[in-house]
Amino acid sequence: MAAREYFTEHRRLWLGLCSFFFLVAAWELVLTYIVPVNPFFFTKPSLIADAFKEQIQSAKLWHDLAVSSQAFLWGFSFAVIVGIPVGLVMGWRRRVEYSLDPFLTALYASPLVALAPLFIIVFGVGVLGKAALVFLLAVFPFVFNAFAGVKSTDSLLINVIRSFGGREKDLYLKVILPSTMPYIIAGARLAIGRGLVGIIVGEFYAASEGIGFAILQAGDTYRLPDMFVGIIILSLIAVGLTELMRKLELMVAPWRASDEAR
Amino acid sequence: MKLKNFYTEHESFILGTGFIVFLLILWESIPLWYTLPKGMALFFTTPSDIAAAFHRLLLNGELEKHFYVSAIAFLAGLGLSIVVGLPLGLVMGRSATLDALLDPYVTASNATPRIVFLPLLILWFGIGIWSKIAIVFVGAVFPLLINTYVGVKNVNQVLVNVVRSFGASEWQLMKIVVLPNSVPYIIAGLRLAIGRAILGVVVGEFFGSSQGLGYMIASAATNYKVDVVFVGVAIFMALSVILTLAVKQLESRLASWRPETAKTF
Repeated sequence: MAAREYFTEHRRLWLGLCSFFFLVAAWELVLTYIVPVNPFFFTKPSLIADAFKEQIQSAKLWHDLAVSSQAFLWGFSFAVIVGIPVGLVMGWRRRVEYSLDPFLTALYASPLVALAPLFIIVFGVGVLGKAALVFLLAVFPFVFNAFAGVKSTDSLLINVIRSFGGREKDLYLKVILPSTMPYIIAGARLAIGRGLVGIIVGEFYAASEGIGFAILQAGDTYRLPDMFVGIIILSLIAVGLTELMRKLELMVAPWRASDEAR
Repeated sequence: MKLKNFYTEHESFILGTGFIVFLLILWESIPLWYTLPKGMALFFTTPSDIAAAFHRLLLNGELEKHFYVSAIAFLAGLGLSIVVGLPLGLVMGRSATLDALLDPYVTASNATPRIVFLPLLILWFGIGIWSKIAIVFVGAVFPLLINTYVGVKNVNQVLVNVVRSFGASEWQLMKIVVLPNSVPYIIAGLRLAIGRAILGVVVGEFFGSSQGLGYMIASAATNYKVDVVFVGVAIFMALSVILTLAVKQLESRLASWRPETAKTF
């Protein structure tokens, strides 16, 4: 009976796993026995697995990943360094909010990735162009989440600090920053997704190395298994980073199990 | 005194537009007080040049042609994602089994920037309009699906039970309780989906394309026509801002009771 209980308890997990393995098996079997696979159009799991093994052992994949992550980290770090202070000040100073909010909202809502060709041409195909693109896309979630965090700070806590004679510094360090932290981490989760878009588009547009370039090149030369490997690796990274942020969010703010937009 | 009252009343508007106007004037005036080095001047443009380029492109009909192509891809892709995402989200929200079966794919695809599928989609659908529609679709479908799903999940269980006790079928339950309750979530999903769809249009047209606003931007950039690049960017900006703010307005009217969260686009 225990097995049955175990199954009902973890039903979701098992069904998910089953559906995944079933899909992979069906994909493989159909393309092996029913319709012969056209290598210029589609591929099958066994070929992808072979390509995966080969790529992991080759130095090129690691080099591409290193190149892409370097640009990503530069852009992302600058987004953190610039975005959070701007957001905090915007939340705390009413006039700054009034001045900056319409401008930054317009930028946040618009597809700034449209500037990618210009950025690549101005800053070059190297790290700088991609990092600038990542920064531009990733900075706004930090700004607006830090802003919302300050806005949602309990004014009672602020008043308490004030009544006990706390200084401006105490206010920032003891109340505003801690209560803003969960928002900032939620912002980081969004920023990761947008930053990855920046890297990929930058490398699609013009690059000579990097994971996005590897995917594009595999597609251009009809090496479909290699292309799928690139896509899978990128999804794994994206899922891993997003999950990490979600865990962090729960750790910092366990009371805010957010269910909006997974 | 009157002037001061007027200012305090409209402070946010005055400061907001004032700042944008200030930035534009600053940008416009850069050539006046600073001579750019030759290499930089190639990449530089001013708002008045951009306006002039906009006027020129509008008159020779080029803008209209590109705009039309992009709009078709946008509308078709977004429409398709609504047609697929909404029902799937509703069904996944109501059926735990289906939810468990599909969840791995939905979660993984949602976390992955879908733009990475572009080379694959171009390979499959060619460089015509279909690959653009496809990239818009894969970009826009997940926010819609997931928001619908969350909306269905958050339906008040008491309401469901009441309707059930009075003998409603699953279809009636859907119509009377579940769907109306999920509308605010669906609208929020739509707002996100619009952003993703525009992103898809832009990037989709960067590559292997000969028409559309994205193509206009990419080819202008390669020819150092920076003013034309900014015309394209400005159009995309204006469209996204108008569309997302309109939906946002709708959203806040429909769901004024939902707690305030950070802006997302």
